Amino acid sequence: MTFNGWLQILALFLVLLAVTKPLGQYMFRVFEGAERPSRRVLAPIERWLLRLCGASPSDEQSWIEYAVSLLIFSAIGVLVTYAIQRLQHHLPFNPQGLGPVAPDLAFNTAVSFTTNTNWQSYSGETTMSYLTQMAGLAWHNFVSAGAGLAVALVLARGLTRRPSEGRPAQLGNFIVDLIRSIVYLLLPFSIVFGLVLISQGIIQNLSAYLHVTGLEGAGQIIPMGPAGSQEVIKELGTNGGGFFNANSSHPFENPNGLTNFLEILLILAIPAGLTYTFGRMAGKSRQGWSIFGAMAVLFLCGVLAAYAAETRPNPALAGLPLDQSAGNLEGKEVRFGVANSALFATATTGTSCGAVNSMHDSFTPLGGLVPLTNLKLGEVVFGGVGAGLYGILIFVLLSVFIAGLMVGRTPEYLGKKIEGREMKAVMLYVLVFPLIILSFSAWAAVSPYGVSSLNNAGPHGLSEILYAFTSATANNGSAFAGLNTNTHFWNTTMGLAMLGGRFLMMVPVLAIAGFMAKKRVAPAGPGTFPTDGPLFTGLLISVVLIVGALTFFPALCLGPVVEHFLAAHGRLF
Amino acid sequence: MKYLSKSLVLLGLVVGIVCIAYPLVLWAIGQTVFPEQANGSILYGPDGKPVGSRLIAQPFTKDEYFQPRPSAVSYAAEASGPSNLGSSNYALRARVASMLGPIVKYQSGPKVGQPVAPDIDLWFQKDQYQGSPHLVAQWADAHNSLAQAWVKADASHGKYVDGWAAAHPNETAQWSKDNPGTDKPVAADFAVIFFDDFSKTYPGQFPAAVEHRTADGKTVSAIEPVREGTDIQSNFFDMWRQEHADADLQDVPGDMVMASGSGLDPHITLKNALFQLDRVAAAWAKIANRKEADTRKEVEEVLLQNATAPFGGLVGEKMVNVLEVNLELRRRYGGA
Repeated sequence: MTFNGWLQILALFLVLLAVTKPLGQYMFRVFEGAERPSRRVLAPIERWLLRLCGASPSDEQSWIEYAVSLLIFSAIGVLVTYAIQRLQHHLPFNPQGLGPVAPDLAFNTAVSFTTNTNWQSYSGETTMSYLTQMAGLAWHNFVSAGAGLAVALVLARGLTRRPSEGRPAQLGNFIVDLIRSIVYLLLPFSIVFGLVLISQGIIQNLSAYLHVTGLEGAGQIIPMGPAGSQEVIKELGTNGGGFFNANSSHPFENPNGLTNFLEILLILAIPAGLTYTFGRMAGKSRQGWSIFGAMAVLFLCGVLAAYAAETRPNPALAGLPLDQSAGNLEGKEVRFGVANSALFATATTGTSCGAVNSMHDSFTPLGGLVPLTNLKLGEVVFGGVGAGLYGILIFVLLSVFIAGLMVGRTPEYLGKKIEGREMKAVMLYVLVFPLIILSFSAWAAVSPYGVSSLNNAGPHGLSEILYAFTSATANNGSAFAGLNTNTHFWNTTMGLAMLGGRFLMMVPVLAIAGFMAKKRVAPAGPGTFPTDGPLFTGLLISVVLIVGALTFFPALCLGPVVEHFLAAHGRLF
Repeated sequence: MKYLSKSLVLLGLVVGIVCIAYPLVLWAIGQTVFPEQANGSILYGPDGKPVGSRLIAQPFTKDEYFQPRPSAVSYAAEASGPSNLGSSNYALRARVASMLGPIVKYQSGPKVGQPVAPDIDLWFQKDQYQGSPHLVAQWADAHNSLAQAWVKADASHGKYVDGWAAAHPNETAQWSKDNPGTDKPVAADFAVIFFDDFSKTYPGQFPAAVEHRTADGKTVSAIEPVREGTDIQSNFFDMWRQEHADADLQDVPGDMVMASGSGLDPHITLKNALFQLDRVAAAWAKIANRKEADTRKEVEEVLLQNATAPFGGLVGEKMVNVLEVNLELRRRYGGA
């Protein structure tokens, strides 16, 4: 580990800290404020869209109505994307003449993009036409992020708004929230930062692939396409689906240190900002900062562990005359080095992004354990756009509940009592996740059609399986990519895991919002457990870690942990 | 129903905005303000034709050019990708060792600065490993997957093993008896028994491609037993190293033998470039018919001028862009 490396990590964290408040403030104005920003430019677009959709901010929905709108909209998204992929050879903007996408792959991809996972069983350059990339996939980057944001807002409203005159507190309207998230947040930021990225060398054109003759006379095909517009929303919306197979390690997606810094920042910005937004909604910004604090501690620990692991020479190469002072460079780019690769890996898996600038499969066992653990904790280390906030709020409720049990008082959060019904929904949320991951992983690990896709033998093979299903269920989309998931079994099971991990977890969240919206707010008394200080932050961190450890420790031991100890003793697979 | 129609309208509007308007806005501004970057940062050769992208590695094999990092996709820019080998995967060590064998040099001792490769050949020809004969057979027995990988590596290898299998029905029949699970064995299945037999028939030799010139002046390549060469140095360097653990060798920069994530990493570390400097300078000196010491100094200058660190040199390890440097050398010294 070098001073330079630490400086880069620290710089990123400080910039993130600096943008959290202004961005959080901006989002508060957009979603909760009496008046929205940018009355001249963006507000007319919003009004126009709302009118065309026949939606109105005054049209408040109950949690069930909200859930139904979300599910219908997502179902349409899956169907449309499936259709475009199957028909791409009949549609325009296909200069490479690519054929229709196979049914199982098209299902997997349609689900993957709708659920904000952006798992890619295919390689972008050789499978998807420009039209498919743009009209089939790109818009999901906006709406799946918007949908996640909407669910987080509903939960935050349920927790913070007060019921009036016997009627439950208002939760908002799905279409209004979705439109606002796109018009005020995702689109303008994408345009501004997209141009910055393009200025640094990310391509944005509609040309056919360029055939060149290299300096030594060998031919090379330089891929082209509108990568820039997808690149920025890929990070900003924590989507992660790359334009190219190699994702953000591809020089056309991430050409230098500056773009890399910016991409990491874009991944973390909205999830971090939302904690401040939540604090404002709760009427006390310290409530938000205490959540931010828990996320920040987990984030820095993750970066530290990954950076330390990747800096050390790979024991499997011991004895060879090799200068490994730059760290484990297999699967990493020279322009990022180990520090920025560890940083990106931690950011992309702590959120639900899943873009990669280095190949997690080739990390050392302990280095690879960090992204895997981040996913297994439920992506609450800043988390996805929206998904991070509602994920951590579920853990907040759990922490408050545990604290309540310890002191023997009815647990309450922000003055609202937490009772049996809410806790059942919380437990549903907490249990669905490992249930999907562990069942599918077990199935894959014992079936010949499951293990035949592995690229690596021994415990690392198990890590690949675990990572794949965790990434799918957590809607992340990054991979231990040696695994070939473009088979009937993997495409189908992972598609189901993504659907379950998205909607079986969103519905309990919306339900909790609905239950909490009905509760009265009791003033805080001397016996109230404070949820806005370092004590609570510490408790929250332990609950996140304990729940994750209790569920996944055995599986992780059989994968990366055993691999680490065997590799340290020179055992190869 | 109410939601369904609203959702469809919303979907149509969103697609219109974010899939058509948004990329086109970025496209229009990008093409106007940053045309070079938006179109792939293409570099042009001395003849004015495009030779590649500044951001995309291309293969270099000739001595006079700096070589990029290894690529798991053979620098196929339209199909980027990594090796995805786990750090404890045997294939990773094998690949690294095989790249090291032909390039490693002595760090000290009487042969300081000289390549190890000739010594590997001599050692290999003795056909002894850990005190037992039949080195190639030992290698294949200990590393089944490497032996199989050799058979699959090239069509000509498979053909050679097929030819051997046809001539050795007894051995293949025995193999089928021992492995009842495999109905139709292919060439790779016979890898181990093939090398066992090869090692006994041709002690101290290894099958490799040899080029012949036919009567009509064409060059044809055939697999034949050989006693020396890169195939031997690559495949057996790791075993040589086991028996010569105390040989003091120069450390090769890691990025020279570790494949990048994209397979298209346009940079190498400055360390890596300096490691290649002697070879590159000697080759240009020969082409341009100049003194080697002068050329070396000039090429080193080119390297140092082109060396950058991420963030405008503020932080990170120094690196050079391979294509830019090679292009500059080509402009400076000419050559084919």
